[in-house]
Amino acid sequence: MIPLEWFLCLSAILFVIGAVGVLTKRNAIIVLMCVELMLNAANINFVAFSSYTGGLTGQVFAVFAIAIAAAEVAVGLAIVMTLYKARDTVNVDEVKLLRW
Amino acid sequence: MFAEYAWLIPIFPLIAFVIVGFLGNKLFKKAEGGAPIAIIMAAISCVLSLLVAYETLTTGEVYKASLEWMVVDGFTFNMGIYIDNLTALMLIVVSFIATLVVIYSVGYMHSEGEKKRRYYAIISLFIGVMLGLVLASNYLQMFIFWELVGLCSYLLIGFWNTKPSAASAAKKAFLVTRIGDIMLMLGLIIFFVGFKGNLDFDYIFNNVDLFTGGDSLLTLGTFLIFGGAIGKSAQFPLHDWLPDAMEGPTTVSALIHAATMVKAGVYLVARSYPVLIETPDTLIIIAAVGGFTALFAATMALNNTNIKRVLAYSTISQLGYMFLALGASGYLFAVSGDPNVGYMAGMSHLMNHAFFKALLFLSAGAVIHAVHTEDMMRMGGLSKKLKITSAVMLLGCISIAGIPPFSGFWSKDEILATVFETGAYNTGFYLLYAFGIIAAFITAFYMFRLWFLTFSGKPRDQEIYDHAHEAPKVMWIPLVILAVLAVGSGLAGILLGMEGTIEPVAYLSTMHIASGIDMIVDMFQHPLTYVSIIVAVLGIAVAYLMYYSKTIDPARISESKVGKKLGNVLLARYGFTAGYDLFGIKVIYGISKAVDWFDRNIIDGVVKLISLICTLVGKLLRFVQNGLVQTYASIVVVGVSLVVILLLAFGGMF
Amino acid sequence: MLDNLATTLADTLEGIPVLSLLIIIPLIGALAAFFLGKNNAKLAKTIALAFSFVALVLSVFVLIAYYGSGNGGFMFSENYVWVEQLGINYNLAIDGLSLPMVFLSTLLVFLAILFSWDVSEKTRTYMSLMLLLEVGVIGVFTSLDYFLFYIFWEIVLIPMFFLISIWGGPNKSYASIKFLIYTHVASLVMLLGIFALYFTAAGELGYYTFDMAQIASVSGALEMGMKTLIFAALFFGFIVKMPMVPFHTWLPDAHVQAPTAGSVLLAGILLKMGAYGIIRICLPIFPVDVSYEFFGVVINWQMILAAIGVVSMVYGAFACLAQTDLKKMVAYSSISHMGIVMLGIATLTELGIAAAVFQMFAHGIIAAVLFMVCGMFQHKAGTREIPLLGGLVTKMPIVSVIMMFSFMASLGLPGLAGFVAEFSVFTATYDWLGTNYWYWIIIPLMTVALTAAYYLWAMQRTIFGELTTKIRTDNIRDAHWFEVAPIVVLLLLIVLLGVWPSALMDIITPTLPFLSIPGVI
Repeated sequence: MIPLEWFLCLSAILFVIGAVGVLTKRNAIIVLMCVELMLNAANINFVAFSSYTGGLTGQVFAVFAIAIAAAEVAVGLAIVMTLYKARDTVNVDEVKLLRW
Repeated sequence: MFAEYAWLIPIFPLIAFVIVGFLGNKLFKKAEGGAPIAIIMAAISCVLSLLVAYETLTTGEVYKASLEWMVVDGFTFNMGIYIDNLTALMLIVVSFIATLVVIYSVGYMHSEGEKKRRYYAIISLFIGVMLGLVLASNYLQMFIFWELVGLCSYLLIGFWNTKPSAASAAKKAFLVTRIGDIMLMLGLIIFFVGFKGNLDFDYIFNNVDLFTGGDSLLTLGTFLIFGGAIGKSAQFPLHDWLPDAMEGPTTVSALIHAATMVKAGVYLVARSYPVLIETPDTLIIIAAVGGFTALFAATMALNNTNIKRVLAYSTISQLGYMFLALGASGYLFAVSGDPNVGYMAGMSHLMNHAFFKALLFLSAGAVIHAVHTEDMMRMGGLSKKLKITSAVMLLGCISIAGIPPFSGFWSKDEILATVFETGAYNTGFYLLYAFGIIAAFITAFYMFRLWFLTFSGKPRDQEIYDHAHEAPKVMWIPLVILAVLAVGSGLAGILLGMEGTIEPVAYLSTMHIASGIDMIVDMFQHPLTYVSIIVAVLGIAVAYLMYYSKTIDPARISESKVGKKLGNVLLARYGFTAGYDLFGIKVIYGISKAVDWFDRNIIDGVVKLISLICTLVGKLLRFVQNGLVQTYASIVVVGVSLVVILLLAFGGMF
Repeated sequence: MLDNLATTLADTLEGIPVLSLLIIIPLIGALAAFFLGKNNAKLAKTIALAFSFVALVLSVFVLIAYYGSGNGGFMFSENYVWVEQLGINYNLAIDGLSLPMVFLSTLLVFLAILFSWDVSEKTRTYMSLMLLLEVGVIGVFTSLDYFLFYIFWEIVLIPMFFLISIWGGPNKSYASIKFLIYTHVASLVMLLGIFALYFTAAGELGYYTFDMAQIASVSGALEMGMKTLIFAALFFGFIVKMPMVPFHTWLPDAHVQAPTAGSVLLAGILLKMGAYGIIRICLPIFPVDVSYEFFGVVINWQMILAAIGVVSMVYGAFACLAQTDLKKMVAYSSISHMGIVMLGIATLTELGIAAAVFQMFAHGIIAAVLFMVCGMFQHKAGTREIPLLGGLVTKMPIVSVIMMFSFMASLGLPGLAGFVAEFSVFTATYDWLGTNYWYWIIIPLMTVALTAAYYLWAMQRTIFGELTTKIRTDNIRDAHWFEVAPIVVLLLLIVLLGVWPSALMDIITPTLPFLSIPGVI
């Protein structure tokens, strides 16, 4: 059996990749995808712990998270679409209306 | 039986106020702006007053009735009616003179147009509240009407309110009397608490010894109550509003000086007598203020050329006599325990003064009506044109000067006699007697100066003289009635035995009741009586020499160096007007400017400073908010990482 | 006859949740005016007027019912559990302290709506905000649960903020933000006090509750230091609202910028919330025994309250004298007059507190007229700057008479509503000071003269004297019917209370013993 640490390491690496992507990428679509990476990192953790402890709670939560992620992507992409329509760009650097 | 309906007395004029005041000008277009209603209502309450007064004076019974107005925590505020002989006297004076003044107004205010409605409304209110004041059964109720009297005089003095001087005079009258009112209010509060939440005359007068708080506080209370009278009755040092109050119509002046406003102060002191005689210190102050004012005010009338101003000063001076009488009489009673005529003299002086001063003012009004100026220097020789007016005014002048058997003589002489008698117990009263005698001389002089300047000699302004005309019937008939009273009221009062009747409850038990004839005989056996007669005659003689026969040239005195300076001091009212203005503008307005500055700069400054700090910090921090989601996310990541690292480092996870 | 009517009314009203209705009716009105009044300003106005009138009628019914069968205790109680775990209840009731305030609120909102009949800008929003304000105010005056009280307290801020910031004068955003921040900071401190009280009282009670009566029942047992702190926090929250010097500067700014009806409600009702809060909430936990010594002078909280009151009276009166804006002067006079309320409260005697409540009501109706007068000056002469005015009595006699009447009422002329309260407060103060310190009363008494001075001087410069040439006066018109009508109602009330003060006093005094105020049994 693969030890728990391996899963955790994988999830951590995935999370960091996602986080760096969210923070550095300019394209809104890629940012969204990176968010997905981070969510999935969490899912891996859920599943890993679930199989480690033997309970089902973690797996249930993973399913929840996937459902929410789907909803989030739907909303996120809708925003990106509207943004593109309105501003003709998907570059997050150019969307900085909410500031001083 | 009439006393039970006494509460209606102030109601009738108030009804007139409501009807005339709140129904439009259109309704009164033909009806002289509501004059008939005002006259009828005033007359009804006059008749009722006379009936009530007659009943009270003949039976000598005190009528009391009161309702609970408000009760809180042991403090009872009542409203009621209290009628004794003093009330009866005041009822007669107020309602009778007021009725005559309203009738006279029909002629005097004839050309005022739409303003007449306002005039009759306010004057009805004035009469109503003054009668209410007189009938009040407790101090609080009295204070309520007291203030309303002040309001009415404010409104009437400022009747020609588009004239800046009238507006200013009205304000001054209200504010200066308000200072007295504050003292009165404090006095009432001292009484209210001291007498355990009861301000009824009936209770206080019978239970003066139940006052809690000690004698010195009681003295202070009575002094403060007198303070109210100082303001209302224009005594030194709050006298300066009264000459300015001449900005109002002359009829208003007559009403204020003879029947309402200024008499309220004397009435208050007379009413408070049962308490006052327990506090001789206050009585000394009353007498001193009165005596000083009598002389002080009289001097200012010496060289004034405004006919109404002269009369105003004479009012202040005569009111001084009344206070002198009340103070001396009370003090004499307090120290000797013997009854004396001073109180009665003061009150009958109030009555006599009411008649002759109303007469003088209304005559002056007739003169002003005829010549349209108040400056005596532009009059002269008017007796040929204004026969009735000049005759009745002469009667008024003789009366105020104190020539027997005219009314002013009797009361003034008794006052001076009482003051002299008091001197035996306190030598200070001899000085006050001297003040009184000198004031009597001056009074006789300036009143005849006024008469000679107005009516005798050659006209000094031919054009004015040519246009002068006798007053209409509606004006001179009240004058004649008043003249009869001004001549006869003093003697009649004594002969009818008012002597024993108008006395406060407290002394009534010890009062000797002498018959009128005995009184008169007694008076003329006293050498002091001749002193006052001689002084009065001297005053008239000097006025005659200076202004009629021109044996002494008045210009020589007024043009001399000392005379000029003195004259200016008198015309500047000893600098009181300037002093009041200085106090108002420099001190009070100065403080308020300082407060305003403090408010804008210090208090709001601190507020602005705080907001400035907040905005500054905000300005610095706002650069963090650059609108880039990724920056925010980075900050979050760094923050969370920091928290985790710190937790690991210090939370004992390692 | 009247007694029968009152009893019948009381029986009828006991059966229905009348206080909730008083809150809900304006709320429905606000929504209705906003949604139905779209594109139809007239309809919005009518709806607002109708709903505020219904609320007024209902409050009059409550007044009559209470008059007939109230014994000083609470009536028309409604108590529903709201959040059980936290001890939050929807608890409403009315007594002799809140009843005058509720009546005042419904009356003034109705009259203010009538007075602003000619508002043309965003009428429906304006009208619904007025009604929303009524919701909050009535809630504040009737709720007996701290949590509920606080919610209503905050609800009041929002409509007033928008009333100033949308319909205000040229400097409206400054004034409205200042108002909001000031009162909001104060209410946060108050909230802190409420929470502290909630937790400390729970320690005594053994359970958590926001119920005012239950907390008041243990207020005597609270630890003194904590109690003083709580008192101070709540007190601060309330005096900013009143407002007392030195936390008053938001008021003149807010008034100067606010529309007339906003000023009427601000001075007439909102200031009373502060005083009401002090009597209802602060006094039961009043730290009577706490005193401090500074340089050998012993000071207790009663003195602090009295000092704040007196300073506000005198300071406000002096500040009035220096103002050139008529409305700013009236605003400062409000501070001065609320100082009288504070002084009355500080005496901790039945007379003083009863007079303070009386003064709250009296000032409410008088200040309403005063601000209406200022509004008419602005409207008709185009300016409120006193130096620019003069001699306007010839141009607008009705406005001038109203002005004089209201000024006289405000300066405490006997026979009008203000006097009774003023005199009673002074009497109570003198009684409290006692024979050794009585002379301190001279300072507050001074304001009686100062008040007369600034009012008379203002009148002399605005309506009397020669007609001004500094502004165009040829088309100045006298008051409209919808301006005169509300004023007449208020003036009649002012006269009524001046002539017959026990009409109000008899409602207030029986309640005082129920308020668990130290010193008043």
